[in-house]
Amino acid sequence: MKWTKTDLAQFLQAQEYVDTILIPLIPFQFSQEKDMEKEASQSEWVSLFAMGIEKELAGRVMLVPSYHYLKSADKQMEIERLNDWMANIQAQPFKHIFYLTMDGAWKKEEGALTGNLLWFPMMYDYKNDSGTGDLLQEQIDQVIEVIRTFWA
Amino acid sequence: MSGDKQQVSRRQFLNYTLTGVGGFMAAGIMVPMLRMAVDPVLKTSGHGDFANVNLAVDDITKDPQRVEWEIEQVDGWYKSNVKKAAWVYKNDEGDIIALSPICKHLGCVVTWEGSDQHPNEFFCPCHDGRYYKSGVNVEGTPPTAPLDMYEKKVENGMLYLGEVKPHKEA
Ligand code: FES
Repeated sequence: MKWTKTDLAQFLQAQEYVDTILIPLIPFQFSQEKDMEKEASQSEWVSLFAMGIEKELAGRVMLVPSYHYLKSADKQMEIERLNDWMANIQAQPFKHIFYLTMDGAWKKEEGALTGNLLWFPMMYDYKNDSGTGDLLQEQIDQVIEVIRTFWA
Repeated sequence: MSGDKQQVSRRQFLNYTLTGVGGFMAAGIMVPMLRMAVDPVLKTSGHGDFANVNLAVDDITKDPQRVEWEIEQVDGWYKSNVKKAAWVYKNDEGDIIALSPICKHLGCVVTWEGSDQHPNEFFCPCHDGRYYKSGVNVEGTPPTAPLDMYEKKVENGMLYLGEVKPHKEA
């Protein structure tokens, strides 16, 4: 389910079944020109990815609006803010929180976050847009497997 | 001086003009109607309600296989490509069955034999929903209705799928 009116109506009827939060972490910036395209491309992939996961697991996973931050920002501040988000989200009985990102900088902050980090590296040639749908689907399936191990 | 030249009387002139205008209006109404009548014929296949899912009927076995295709969806002014999927197999009578993979509980995607504990069934990973091969939900699991079915047709040996409809045993 997504943060949309129709999905939330369904969610409010079935809260006990929707116990997993998925939140994309997406950096952006306009100060380092040489990285802009790459980062925008990553942002697109993470969004596609999140939608792909939500589609397969719509009945149990709530995809919340993406968390955007400046690439150069102090991670400690961001973590504080993110944990605030999560404290609020947990007003609902969510048991699992997954962050989805391609920004490797989160990897070493993982322990400070409420929830689990799903980090995956860039596997696509962003310069030629040659990431194929199949490759994407394959990676989505793998991440779904990971999420399911937390459910078991 | 006026006698010979006045070949068109006032009445005739009005008649001609009105017929002209009337004819114009009639044409204005008729053309769209004609178009509507002929349009379905002009439409190319694939833009109709059925989509070729790239599966030859001969390749459909008794084991459900997943097919995927894309359709163009127009939502108001917003056009987008939407991925569709189905589980397709032949039942014991040899009829083609095309089931929607969307779980009737809360909408996750079900998989044929998605759980090792439940062979020969469709399985929903979200809350362990189960369906028999026919698409009928297994009593006691969360879904309360059978999987939807696609309308289907066969043309030149290829399978075409259309709209989803409630399961005939629903
Ligand atoms: S969404 Fe399939 S069992 Fe709940």
